[in-house]
Amino acid sequence: MMNTLKISFAVLKPPTRYLPSSNSVISQKLHSPSSSPSVKPPTISPLGRGKSGGSRVYSTFAARTNFKVNCYSNMAEPNSDLKQGDVTVKDDRIARISSSIRVIPDFPKPGIMFQDITTMLLDPVAFKDTIDLFVERYKEKNISVVAGVEARGFIFGPPIALAIGAKFVPMRKPNKLPGAVISEEYSLEYGTDIMEMHVGAVQAGERTLVIDDLIATGGTLVAAINLLERVGANVVECACVIELPDLKGRDKLGGKPLFVLVN
Amino acid sequence: MSAGENGDSDGRIKGIKSALRVVPNFPKPGIMFQDITTLLLDPKAFKDTIDLFVEHYKHENISVIAGIEARGFIFGPPIALAIGAKFVPLRKPKKLPGEVISEKYILEYGSDCLEMHVGAVKSGDRALVVDDLIATGGTICAAINLLERVEAEVVGCACVIEVPELKGRERLRSHGKELYVLVESQFEPTTQ
Repeated sequence: MMNTLKISFAVLKPPTRYLPSSNSVISQKLHSPSSSPSVKPPTISPLGRGKSGGSRVYSTFAARTNFKVNCYSNMAEPNSDLKQGDVTVKDDRIARISSSIRVIPDFPKPGIMFQDITTMLLDPVAFKDTIDLFVERYKEKNISVVAGVEARGFIFGPPIALAIGAKFVPMRKPNKLPGAVISEEYSLEYGTDIMEMHVGAVQAGERTLVIDDLIATGGTLVAAINLLERVGANVVECACVIELPDLKGRDKLGGKPLFVLVN
Repeated sequence: MSAGENGDSDGRIKGIKSALRVVPNFPKPGIMFQDITTLLLDPKAFKDTIDLFVEHYKHENISVIAGIEARGFIFGPPIALAIGAKFVPLRKPKKLPGEVISEKYILEYGSDCLEMHVGAVKSGDRALVVDDLIATGGTICAAINLLERVEAEVVGCACVIEVPELKGRERLRSHGKELYVLVESQFEPTTQ
């Protein structure tokens, strides 16, 4: 029996407009390594509780990084606010979310442009908007399980689960979950890793989401899908904040739909 | 202070306590592991857990929730979202990209390290440390140290479960920090 859960959020000012037109579709080049500035920490003004007026100024790394702010979904069934196929969602919230994410070059190794969501977590409006965008999509879909992939999936999954009245199921690295687990091996660039889920956490037939911060090659998400399907769950969709489209993870999900907020 | 301490018959605490499970001999013989994952499978009990923390802290002007990897990432963000605070993940080494500060702390055997992003927390930020459980308090003290090194004010520490025999509360008290927990650890293994 699922209750509809309401979480009351602090009332905040409307987000600062970063872009000239709220109705424009933003489509920009991806940030290229050759023009990358040296790494320096983000300077993000605090919310300044108790202050009235004044705009928040962000000079995060991501401000110098161009992101597409399109929302993509290949979910087959019609959705009231998204068309089928590649669609563009005109939503101010996505622009703010996108610009709150920072890129760290050469992490964890040279050549990788790491998409860092921790700066988004420092912007309570952007973080709330991120959760809201997922909740709006899934709240009427009878989802009973939100599976979050360790560790950054633990940040986004639980707020979504709480808001839609679903269970939260952590998908973890080996030997972290106590008690009986099922394991799924999956490929890495070099070698393999293992993902585990608790026996008994998910029942056959439960409608589930898989949540992570980012999809790259899709290997991790596929492992999560496999674990859920092995216990007879129905994986309705995978949802991530960020997609790296060049790595074509979307095509590797065995036909499962993928919903992301930014590329 | 513990939420159930004063003979409070708050039904929510009862529901939370019964949603937890104990797994014996994990991760090694003799340890009765307090498992919160069953709490997460009970949407009402999970919501009640977050609500109790939010009710306790919402008037404290908290601007930062610092959650300790990995189970602090489950409880911290919903609290942060509800009170409009930043969420700052405190992580094992080499997980956070970019510039970090590190704090070493002692384990039963050997030591470990906790890291926080440079610039995430500002001087004067009022911070709450969140984790699923406090045992000896070693990890939580490392978290407090990281926050105090950047001159944040650590208002308190919040955990779902406390293991009183390991005296984490006393350790925090000796650093002048308040601990708020919902339940104490249980001894009986529960069948789930």
